[in-house]
Amino acid sequence: MKKISLAFIAIMLLAVTALAGCNNEDSASSEGKSKKDVEQVITANLGGEPYTLDPAFASDTTSFWVINHLYQGLYAYDEDGEIVDGAANKVDVSEDGKTYTFTIRDGVAWSNGDSLTAKDFEYSWKRVLNPETAAYDPSQFYYIKGAEEYNTGKGAVENVAITAKDDQTLVVELNNPVKFFPKVVLGEGFLPVNQKVVEADEDWAAEAAGIVTNGAYTVSEWKHNEQLTIQKSESFWNADQITMDTVNFKMIADATTEYQMYKAGELDLVAALPAETVEQEKSNEEYKNFPSFSIYTYTFNVEEEPFTNAKIRRALSFAIDREALTENILKGGEKPAYGYVAYGVESPSGKDFRDEAPEYFKFDSEKAKELLEEGLKEEGWDKLPEFTLKYNSEGNHKKIAEVLQEMFKQNLDLDVKIENQEWKTYIDTFKQKNFQLARMGWSGDFLDPYPVLNLYTSKSSSNFTNWSNSKFDDLIAESLVEQDENKRFELLHEAETVLMEEMPIIPILFQAQNTLISKKIEGIRLDVLSKPDLRFAEKVSE
Amino acid sequence: MYIVKRLFTMIVTLWIIATLTFMMMHFIPGDPFASDAKMLPEEILENMRAKYNLDKPLAEQYFLYLKDLAQLDLGPSIQSKTRDVNTLIAEGFGPSALLGIQSLLMAIILGIGLGVVAALNHNRVLDYLSMFIAIIGISIPSFILAPLLIKYFGVEWGIFPVASWGTWQHTIMPSFALALGPLAIIARFVRTSMLEVYNQNYIKTAEAKGLSTFSVVVNHGIRNALIPVISFIGPLFAAVITGTFVIEKIFAIPGIGKYFVDSIFNRDYPVILGTTIFYSTILIITLFIIDLAYRFVDPRIKITSRGE
Repeated sequence: MKKISLAFIAIMLLAVTALAGCNNEDSASSEGKSKKDVEQVITANLGGEPYTLDPAFASDTTSFWVINHLYQGLYAYDEDGEIVDGAANKVDVSEDGKTYTFTIRDGVAWSNGDSLTAKDFEYSWKRVLNPETAAYDPSQFYYIKGAEEYNTGKGAVENVAITAKDDQTLVVELNNPVKFFPKVVLGEGFLPVNQKVVEADEDWAAEAAGIVTNGAYTVSEWKHNEQLTIQKSESFWNADQITMDTVNFKMIADATTEYQMYKAGELDLVAALPAETVEQEKSNEEYKNFPSFSIYTYTFNVEEEPFTNAKIRRALSFAIDREALTENILKGGEKPAYGYVAYGVESPSGKDFRDEAPEYFKFDSEKAKELLEEGLKEEGWDKLPEFTLKYNSEGNHKKIAEVLQEMFKQNLDLDVKIENQEWKTYIDTFKQKNFQLARMGWSGDFLDPYPVLNLYTSKSSSNFTNWSNSKFDDLIAESLVEQDENKRFELLHEAETVLMEEMPIIPILFQAQNTLISKKIEGIRLDVLSKPDLRFAEKVSE
Repeated sequence: MYIVKRLFTMIVTLWIIATLTFMMMHFIPGDPFASDAKMLPEEILENMRAKYNLDKPLAEQYFLYLKDLAQLDLGPSIQSKTRDVNTLIAEGFGPSALLGIQSLLMAIILGIGLGVVAALNHNRVLDYLSMFIAIIGISIPSFILAPLLIKYFGVEWGIFPVASWGTWQHTIMPSFALALGPLAIIARFVRTSMLEVYNQNYIKTAEAKGLSTFSVVVNHGIRNALIPVISFIGPLFAAVITGTFVIEKIFAIPGIGKYFVDSIFNRDYPVILGTTIFYSTILIITLFIIDLAYRFVDPRIKITSRGE
């Protein structure tokens, strides 16, 4: 009897505090804004038709933007951008760091009611690796045992170490004990698709009706080339946390039109402000500049004279006034690059990887001249052989090439030729290493220095510099298996130092995202790797 | 007999166009799979090429394509992945055609009106005013006019929605932007040929018969003055109903105009071929209809093939 009354009192107390809580909330919201009366709809611009909403084939940021709202992988980002558990709520890593055992959450489901199981992940991942699928980027999976062999036709699917032990347990074995594997698994290629749906219709993701998702949203309407609407998914296990009910993605290709629509109140958000408007919006409180995990470089072909000499390569880097370029000419919020890895990676010390490292070079025309002299002496030349700077015609690359040409003339008295080609032709030229110095940009696959530094190892398929350095290769290889995060970052810093001393590439600048977000919207999370996360956004007024 | 012959010529023309386009597009350097985002390893690219038959010899690809084409199948779009070229064209043609026809009607009605007014008031204020408007129409390119329309009618005065698609209000600004150029050209054509027609004896006869000015202008004047306009409208019709890159981009119209340009940048081979063939077909059919129309406005023009 006593027990019951105690329980009763406890319940009453709880109820009272809960009510009091409600009251507080009510008075707080009536003072400021009454969020509850505002319909939670946001209108953003995708920029064009997403080519596919099937995560296996997506390759562009447009598709990724929608896909990241529709599906959820084993891990996820929370509203602060922290990596948290996603579809799996338990992850066990073996002592040697090579085996990951994921436990899928109880009761997670697809939007069509099917339950989501470990088998869905096994199927989806092996589908990406199947050479016949011709998925966009199976190479992200190559950390997994047997994956590369299967994908390149040298091994069988049975030897791929992705196994669903039962409906809830997924076991993945890696080639190396890579510490950053969770960051890799956050990639879009690792998102699950529903086996039954995919097998029933190969083009399941072509129309709104066929798309089955496991994430925060489902597609409610897809008017091709016009508008795509996604609606909060009631079957999503974490639906309570999702504040935005509906997202309308318009497909406006023209950046100026997009800007005008925002000004006319037809859009709540501009994710990529046209460069020419940045200057005039800078003082607007709706404007926000955010780094992007990408680097703009000029790449040397170190087997082509005159760039066979590291001092000559470095001389060019010292002759570039990056601050003048970003502040006075581009004015698009870009940051001058005095190192290679872009801003955005938090190292174990809590600092940004970039801020931890020294500035590897700066603008110094005296030093540039000195290095050039020394380089010429080493090579036995009295004058630098002529060279051509190549770039692709699109965007502001022409402007940057012309500025560099001018700076090399002023600071080193060099006559540099510049030459441009349309993008796809340019890529061909670049891959054939048919250049002396050429423009190229990189974004990281995941938020770690490893994927961007790894691009310049000897066996990397993205290294077109002809530069090969065993010390660099060793450092990168060592970092791959290093289990101590502090040491791993030290190794990566050392590798970057080698890269910057040898300088097969000149870092020019770090790209930025310039956004306008309406004052009516709160809680949009900007991300250095992708477009804004709208899941936790909240509309506070009409 | 004439129709059969004409049909045969049409098919041969299309085959030649398809063949030339096929050859030319494979001469352009570059690869449809070289994406902006990443340099993929060669093995992965090989898998992608195999999926679209691009690993086969060119001659084989060509015959495979012709075989599909004979069955009116324009193939898959490499860029769009899940949607084929037939679907892309079928979906985008509606908005493009609607906009095209609307702007063409606007151009014809206003152009003829302006031309007639100018001719009837030859060397007077209304003439100069009409021709002033026409000169402006010819000299302002649509990519200048469109942002101006957006800035004032869309943002500042809020009369029309800035861009996008859905209601009739969305179609007004792009239609006008598209119409202004042709409108001006038509006005100048009509003015010149009206002036010419007005010196002909049959007009004097009609006037002498005591017909009203309206009747003279409509029944005798315009009808004869339209012949040069019709020759101009034919190719224009084919061009505007298949969409325009610039206007559709600026106003975010879900049309097919962008595929003509984007497909080339993306090296999306089936879309390059598909759009070229589609446009050629429309153009050839339009020219055929125009030939028939000549006969309607001027019975003296006979449709015969040589030697008949």
